[in-house]
Amino acid sequence: MEPMKILRVPAILAFMLIMTGCGSSLVIQNVDYSQPLESVLSPDSDGQIHDKRYAIQFSITPILEYEGSEGVDEIRLIRNANGFYFVTADGFSNVYIFEPGEGELSLHEEVELPDGPISEPAFNQRDTHIELINQSSGQTYNLDQNGIR
Amino acid sequence: MNAPMKKFYTATTVLLLFFLQSALIAQQSDYQVQQSFVSELNELTQRIDTTQSSAELAELEIELQQLKSEYAEHEEIINAALYPETYQNRVNTLDEQLSVAIDNASVIEQLNTRIDGLMVEIDSYRSEITDLNEDSQALRQELQRAESNEEQQAALLIEYRQSLEERNSFVSGFLQELMSRYQNVDLGTQQEISDNAERLDDSPVEILRSIILDYINIVDESSSLETPDYVAMRAQHEYFFEVWERIGTNLVNTFVPDNPSEAKTEMDELMSAWLLSIDNQLWESLNNSFSQNGIELEVFVSPDEFYNAIYTYVDNGHATSLERNSEEDFGVYQNFNTFWNETVKAEWGDMLIEGEILTQSQISEIDIKLNDWEEASKPTSNLMFILLIVSVAVIIGLIVLLITKKN
Repeated sequence: MEPMKILRVPAILAFMLIMTGCGSSLVIQNVDYSQPLESVLSPDSDGQIHDKRYAIQFSITPILEYEGSEGVDEIRLIRNANGFYFVTADGFSNVYIFEPGEGELSLHEEVELPDGPISEPAFNQRDTHIELINQSSGQTYNLDQNGIR
Repeated sequence: MNAPMKKFYTATTVLLLFFLQSALIAQQSDYQVQQSFVSELNELTQRIDTTQSSAELAELEIELQQLKSEYAEHEEIINAALYPETYQNRVNTLDEQLSVAIDNASVIEQLNTRIDGLMVEIDSYRSEITDLNEDSQALRQELQRAESNEEQQAALLIEYRQSLEERNSFVSGFLQELMSRYQNVDLGTQQEISDNAERLDDSPVEILRSIILDYINIVDESSSLETPDYVAMRAQHEYFFEVWERIGTNLVNTFVPDNPSEAKTEMDELMSAWLLSIDNQLWESLNNSFSQNGIELEVFVSPDEFYNAIYTYVDNGHATSLERNSEEDFGVYQNFNTFWNETVKAEWGDMLIEGEILTQSQISEIDIKLNDWEEASKPTSNLMFILLIVSVAVIIGLIVLLITKKN
């Protein structure tokens, strides 16, 4: 009976591993999260922005604090194919790239713009990247979730 | 700077501008593109909605083409922004809206042209009738002034009658024109004209109204007129009445859309007042005409009473002739027969029928009765009776002679 007792523990462990494996075996590849057009959103008095079209709502107060900005009239938001959110606004020196999580957006990359604060920014969805335009100067930046390409 | 260098600089500048332009186009915000498209489309929609002129709509058509050629390359972005709507749907909808607006503008312009034409015609009718009225009035006044000069009055009366005939003929032409246009006018056209009727200073209904008032005025103020004139007036009234019965409802619906029934009632009442004015003069004048020819009729104040009066006169004459068969009765018959055939039937006959004073069958009935009267009133000769008695006497004499000889 002793050998049977010895074998029981690994058997249970193997069974648990199999079960865990079964739970995460369905993975869909090549999901395209890309938002064809940027969203231009005005925050409310609490700093909340609500994109009804693409169904996302969050507060921009932490971003403003991080940027050191007192407030903005509107922010520009776009999501790339990999599901990362790109956020900036008029007068920002950075583009903030967030990764969505469970009830949260965590800063994945903070991209400092080489030409200083951006004026009248606009995001465009492109096949392989996100295009950021400074509409005042005509300057463009090609971005992905890792920064300027 | 020499010419080749100049050309080089020019070409370089053009190329630089071209690249700059391309760069600027490349740096457009997709969001801005779709926002501009939606904004321009909405503005165009609104302008198409409020524009009624074909020329302006033609310009909007060009602008729509420009909008399409400008944004066609951004169709994908715009579709993404408008989802579940599409660029094509929005553009097609506007195309249809523009097409409908162009059709409507064309209809409105046609209608405006028609209304303008109508206004010109109405002005022309109004001016013509005013001229005719002025002529008649001037003649009427001259007639009143020439009361002392019989010869001059007779000449003026002929002229006055001619002016009234001319006026009647013009009014009849106007009525004919109205009838041909509005008797079978469809509801759509009625509605279209009535929507624009407020633009008309004067409408056909208003002209008809003033024509009737003028007619009443002529009847009431013309003291020199005689029986044939009043008979002609009644005939004109009947024609007017008949036309009004046919087109009156359409006319008031078209030209007095705010209160058609009241306008119709007012015209009906005017028509009755006109008839009353004519009749006030007509029956008395007819009675005088018969009386002046030695025919004393019973009092009559309506077409039926007039017929009854004549029929009774002829019937009584017939009865008297049957009873007496005198020379005098034959004279009475001859007098009536002459007046009846040579004046009443020959001169007034058509107008009496048109004016619904006598019907054709009533005239025929009087003619039949008149034939009976003729038969009864012809004086019979005694010669035949005498010859008969002589013949009988000769026969009796011969018989007596034969019997006597035998014995």
